[in-house]
Amino acid sequence: MEAFREKFKEEANELISDLEQLVLQLEGNKTDQSIVEQVFRVMHSLKGGSAMFGFTLIDQFTHLLENIYDKIRAGELQVTEDILDITLNAVDHLRRLIEETDANFAELAAANKKFIVRIEQVLNQNSPKIENVRLILDDEDVIRKTKTYFISFDPSPDFFQDGSNPLFLLDDLCQLGEAVVVPKYSRIPKLNDIDPTECYMGWNVILTTAEGINAIMDVFIFTNNRSKIEVQKLSDINLLADKSYRKILAETLANKESIVIEALHSLTQDLEKIHSENETLIQRKSSASGHGRDQTISSIRVSSEKLDDLINWVSELVTIQAQLSLFAQQNHDAELTPISEEIEKITRRLRDDVFSIRLIPAANMVTRFQRLIRELSQNLGKDVLFETKGTETELDKNIIEMLVDPVMHIIRNSMDHGIEDTIDERVANGKPATGKILFNAYYSGTNVYIQITDDGKGIDLAKIRRKAIEKGIISPEVELSRKETLDLLFLPGFTTAQSITNLSGRGVGMDVVKRKISDLRGQVEIETELGKGSTVTIKLPLTLSIIDGLLVRIDDTHMVIPLNSVYKVYEYQHEKLEHAINNLILADDERVPAINLRKHFNFETPPPAIERVVTMEYNDHYIGLTIDEIVGEYQAVLKPLGTMFKGQDFFSGATILGDGSVALVLDPNKLVEQFAKNEIKIGG
Amino acid sequence: MGKKILIVDDSESIREVVSFTLENAGHEVSKAFDGVDALTYLDGKKYDLIITDLHMPNLNGIELIRKIRVIEEYKFIPILFLTTESQTAKKMEAKDAGATGWIVKPFVPEKLLEAINKVAR
Repeated sequence: MEAFREKFKEEANELISDLEQLVLQLEGNKTDQSIVEQVFRVMHSLKGGSAMFGFTLIDQFTHLLENIYDKIRAGELQVTEDILDITLNAVDHLRRLIEETDANFAELAAANKKFIVRIEQVLNQNSPKIENVRLILDDEDVIRKTKTYFISFDPSPDFFQDGSNPLFLLDDLCQLGEAVVVPKYSRIPKLNDIDPTECYMGWNVILTTAEGINAIMDVFIFTNNRSKIEVQKLSDINLLADKSYRKILAETLANKESIVIEALHSLTQDLEKIHSENETLIQRKSSASGHGRDQTISSIRVSSEKLDDLINWVSELVTIQAQLSLFAQQNHDAELTPISEEIEKITRRLRDDVFSIRLIPAANMVTRFQRLIRELSQNLGKDVLFETKGTETELDKNIIEMLVDPVMHIIRNSMDHGIEDTIDERVANGKPATGKILFNAYYSGTNVYIQITDDGKGIDLAKIRRKAIEKGIISPEVELSRKETLDLLFLPGFTTAQSITNLSGRGVGMDVVKRKISDLRGQVEIETELGKGSTVTIKLPLTLSIIDGLLVRIDDTHMVIPLNSVYKVYEYQHEKLEHAINNLILADDERVPAINLRKHFNFETPPPAIERVVTMEYNDHYIGLTIDEIVGEYQAVLKPLGTMFKGQDFFSGATILGDGSVALVLDPNKLVEQFAKNEIKIGG
Repeated sequence: MGKKILIVDDSESIREVVSFTLENAGHEVSKAFDGVDALTYLDGKKYDLIITDLHMPNLNGIELIRKIRVIEEYKFIPILFLTTESQTAKKMEAKDAGATGWIVKPFVPEKLLEAINKVAR
């Protein structure tokens, strides 16, 4: 770009000289239209180039100067000595402007302003009509309101013939603002009558934009005249700002193709009424804030029991619907099949909507921790990197809200007591200079785990013990296990910090954390290694038990592997697996230990000739599960297992399949842990 | 697929920056400095697209389009305007003369390429 800028500078200097000459010619020949035309063109070139290459001052200046000559060209102004004078001065001014750099910008801008005022005088005094010159300059100051428009676009049947694509136009429309685009299908003929070169589609669009109706018309300016385009303003407010309005509008568009505009107008009136009522409600609220809990129209509070009930019933519906689909499929009933498909569609939407009512991803709270760590690292002068994992893990909204404070406290502790005070201390211990705090969220079984890990000093167990004895919490002769010692940290009034800082160590520490987690029916645990760091793990029950899983089959038994732990699926001939040494298989040139579930669960039937291995990530290593066949993806509604399965940790629950049979849901983490203990060393 | 494109602009720097942008995107570019010059390029050569300025000496953009549209093999060639003008009246005039589209200067390279991809087959 710099090279082009230089080139333009050369060119601009030539243009300015041309301009000078033309003005001098004009002086002797004030009515010569061809000279005026040339002056105008030279200025236009200057303007275009300067805008292109970032000479903002010239762009601004020539734009105005051009206006004068545009007027002269149109016969609205006469060439006067005054105008010629200004233009000649302008030539000198332009020569300075072309040397615009960052350093002299302010100075030149000031000079520019003076000139602009003079030009404005000329424009105004000769033609009082042009008051909008200021507006052009102070364009940003003009506040434009976002309004709502309705656009009906019916391309002519021959629309494709000159290579046009209606989707590009819709694209351009969408770039003007926010839009709801609904296709019109009514012109599409029967399949046999379709001529693939003709355009049968049409679109209805609701667009909210601050650009105005002309900008919308501009999009269609090069569209052929045979196409039908209708643009109407629906409302002076942004009707798409509210999600519920958006939904209603989209539905109206979809349902009423032909008389849509009448329907929209009456709908608009309703929405505007609601909108203004809302506005006054909000105003009233803010003016009389003492009134306390006013209801808002867009949301209602529902007790969580009601939601739980709803979710249970939807879970039942999902199960029954799977049965219906299977039944319809097996009976090949031409009437039943479409009905069952429709029910399946509706059930899926219902299920998604109902479940989404309560769940939000953990990412929602993570930004707050990020800020906390940023602030703390500044305050404490510690260089700390915050890493997150599993932030897409979804949790109940209430749980997330109640979790924020305890987790904040844990992070404060990690920052204050965990991470070493100086970089030297870290480096001396062979650690990277930058400390690390990891936030990790994941599902395991019917639980959600939130882990905060730091790579700091760790906790000195002996110190905890000394402190506890000092405070009289335990007597010196009591023997405590490692876990019991760490649990002391959760006792009220216990703090190991030597000095009480304003961050943590005020003695309201971990006991409050523990209580808050218990309120959520959860557990909290600390694990630490002196000199290496600590991990606080919060375990919470999953109030919602639905998981995306991979439905697999071994013999006649179906099992579900949670999709979030699945990495890849491989196929192997049975003999290859049979002869694998140490159960290690070769997956993508890497040795991966594989658990043969067929053997593990003692199936006695002969295995198929080709078996599948599902690989999963476990503690930074991969591990495989050998199964017979992948059935497909399955949304499993988790049901708790009865007491008979109490000892079987590696099943997190069961789910009911479409044919009414039961599939067990595997807990890969537990399975691998157990297997690792017994048979292999992971990553050996 | 690179297209054969003719650029018509009286400003050398604009010609350079447009052709630089297009050539980088794999197109083959010819450059004409005004309308009269542009017509000499069209003789016997097959272009996929013409991009022209509006205000030019000798033969301006609108006049150029009118002249191009009467040549049999260029009746349907996409012609884009690349100009600082943005008045609707000008655009209408251009459309009536047979223009396919309009790009406003100063342009962003990506937008220019996008506009070209939309019209050039």
